[in-house]
Parts: sequence; structure tokens; C-alpha cells
Amino acid sequence: MIVTPKILTRLLAIGLLGVLLQLSFFSEVELFHVSPDVLPALVVCLGLLGGSMTGAVSGFAIGFFVDCLLVEALGITSLVLLGVGYSAGLFRERFEIHNTLVPALLCMGLTFAAELGFGLIQLLLGLDAPLSPLIIRDLLLKSVYAFFLAWPIYLLVRRVLRPALVDDPKVQRRRQPTVLGA
Amino acid sequence: MYRKQVRRRRAVLALLIVGSFVLLTLTYQGSRGLQSGVSTIFSPVQSVADRALKPARDLVDWFDKTFDARGENSRLKTQLVKAREQAVAGQEALQENAELRKLVELDRGPALASSGYKEVIARVIGRSPTLWRSSVVLDVGSGDGVRVDDPVISGDGLIGRIASAGPGSSQVMLLTDHDSAISAKVVPPGVQGVIKPEVGNPEELILDFIDSTKDVHGGMAVVTAGWRAQGLESLFPPGLPVGEVTQASIFEREAKEQVPVRPYADLRNLDLVQVLTGGSRE
Repeated sequence: MIVTPKILTRLLAIGLLGVLLQLSFFSEVELFHVSPDVLPALVVCLGLLGGSMTGAVSGFAIGFFVDCLLVEALGITSLVLLGVGYSAGLFRERFEIHNTLVPALLCMGLTFAAELGFGLIQLLLGLDAPLSPLIIRDLLLKSVYAFFLAWPIYLLVRRVLRPALVDDPKVQRRRQPTVLGA
Repeated sequence: MYRKQVRRRRAVLALLIVGSFVLLTLTYQGSRGLQSGVSTIFSPVQSVADRALKPARDLVDWFDKTFDARGENSRLKTQLVKAREQAVAGQEALQENAELRKLVELDRGPALASSGYKEVIARVIGRSPTLWRSSVVLDVGSGDGVRVDDPVISGDGLIGRIASAGPGSSQVMLLTDHDSAISAKVVPPGVQGVIKPEVGNPEELILDFIDSTKDVHGGMAVVTAGWRAQGLESLFPPGLPVGEVTQASIFEREAKEQVPVRPYADLRNLDLVQVLTGGSRE
């Protein structure tokens, strides 16, 4: 991804909008008693489209912003989401994405990993209450929601960042080298 | 060239990880200035987003509640029969209470009024997305008189307490957060215990450390204990409704000395709440 000031502004807008939507909408609605978490999916999409650096930095920034708005311990969400973004970016750099199912499956897997990561950090920081078996149901449902939400998020993010995507088919088509004199 | 890129990437990753740990350390050292600043700037935006998205939220909630309504209906019918019986008994108790008060010349209002709390109405403008933390953000803060540890209630009962307060927004630690612990008692027997959550289950709390010799059974109400001893005082005034005891097994009640409690307030769907500011702590 070629990050110009214009693209950076777009990335900031995507992050801001994603966080506001998550805190004011997705966290407050429930389907089968579980709220969807779109932030790991958003970071995965940014990592898949922009690479590991973009994924890690946007994960860190989005996590920082979430913790600031929720007035919670800074650093926890940043640490988890930067791992998610970096992993998604690394996947994109190592493997070719041929199948349209890949982003959705990756969003599902990494949302599951992100929730486990949150749990692990909370356990390390001290968890004074017993765990309910229902947490497994919630973890699975959150991952399933991420699978379905990944499609619109991926398409939307790709559309917004299209000018910066070097390997996007439409951009490549537009950038066909012209032969002088032809 | 490729190696240089890889090295740079690793350096940025290491820097971000170190940055996260630095932020975590700063938070646990008590520095919340940065968060407070950012939340002050963005709380009006969050408030507008919250109001704008309310119709969409209500639509999704409508679908969810329709699924739930079937099971809820039969449970509510059983509860209604019990409630009718209790209401009749309550009316008798009220009459008797009024007569007794007259006798001892007591003219005290409910616990809340006598403890001098002021209610600040607030709107929930954000909610933690992860399963592991249970907190909401309110659109009122220290500028409105809200202080850390102030109790927060909804129309149904206690929902939690203020964990941190910025100038224009504050964070509420809900009863279901793993750090939450509230001294409470079961009425009428007066058995005292500590209300703790079960992480991942927003519909049930645990009343722990109860006296297993006393009879506690399903349907009994749980209220805040509001103790005061040796200059120390509970954060919550006595008598705030918390929830009701659900069916507990003999093993839970006698061996583990705990009973499950269903909170009165719907902690998953909060919109308008009240922060009880001031009180006898000031």
C-alpha cells in the first residue's frame, strides 16, 4: 500500500468511524445474547489490504482510541489488535489470496484469537471472578458474526483505499504502461 | 533491500509492543490524563452517534427480543402469580409498618432519601465490546458532580458504580465486571454476602459467603447491605434492589455457601440511568 497524506486521512476516518460504530451501535445490540465485535475484523481487513505494517499500526491506533473512549486501562486493546493486524498482514505477504472466503475466514479466526488474547491478558492482570461456561458460546458466536460482517467491511475498506492498493486488479488495469509511439 | 524492509518492520512491531506495555504501566500507575482528554473531546461526538444510531439499535433489539419473548412469557406468568401473593402480603406489611412508625414516632423516608443522595440522570453512550470487561460510558462526568465510586442505578435496580470520571464523561463498572464486589443481603431472612459476577454470564450473579444454616430459597430479593463499621462505610446506601435469588442446589447453598442471583436491571440493554452523587460519603 502506498500511504500518501490523503490515504492516511482515509485510514484515520475508517478507524474513527469503526470505533464509534462499535461503541455506539454494535456493542449495544445483541443477537442471541451476544454483541458483535467488528474491530478485530476491521483491523484484519486493513492488514490484508495494506500489509503487516499497516495492520499493526492501525491495530495499535484503533485499540488506543477504544481504550481512551471507554476510559479503560490503556494498552490492552492496542496490544491485542496490533497482534491481529500484524498477523493478517503477514498472511497477505506470505500467501496469495485467491479465494473470496479467505478474508472472512481470517476475520473469524482472528476475532476468536483476539477474544482469547483479551482473556489471557485479563487472567495475567488478575481475574477475581469465576468463569462461566457461557463464555465459550459467546466466543464462538462473536467469531461467526465476524465471518458474516467481514464481507461488507472488506469490500468497503477496499473501496475506500483503492487508490493506494498496488495489487488491486482495477488499479493495475488503469496503470497499464503506454508504449510510446503506439 | 528486502532484509532492510524486514528489519524495519520488526523494529516498528517491537516499538508498538513496547508502547503498549508503557501505556499499560502508565495506566496502572494512575495516570489517566490522556484518556480523560481524548474522551472529553470525543464524548459529544459519541453522544450524537449514540442518538443517531438509536433507531437502528432498536430495530436489531426488536428481532432479538422477539426470539426471546416465547420463553419469557411462561416464566413471567409464573412470576405474576407469585408477585400477586407478595403484593397482598406487602400491603399488609405496609399498613402494619405505618402503624408501628406512628407508635415510635419515626418519620424516615426510604433509605435513599435519608442518606442525602442526589440523582444525576445520564445516558449510556458507549459499551465495552469485549466479553472480558463489563463497562459502559455515560455522558455525564465530574463537571456534573459525578465522582468515582458513586452508585449507578436504572429504573429496575443497582447496575454498578462509577470507576472513573472525566470532565464530560464517566465509566461505569457494571455488576457483571470481574472486578465488581458488592456487600448485599437477602430479604427477608437478612443473610449477608458478597455479590460477585460470573465472567461471561450477564444474566446471573453469585451471592457468595452466605450463612448456609439460614434458609435462602428462589424468589427472595437481594438488596445492598450498606454497612458502616469503624469509620469505614459501604459505597452503596442500604436497601438498593440488586436482584432475586434463583433456584439454588443444596450443594451450592451448603457446600459452596453461595446462591445464584438474577439482577433486576437488564444490564445488556441500558439507555438512561441515574448516578447517585453526594450521599453520606461527602
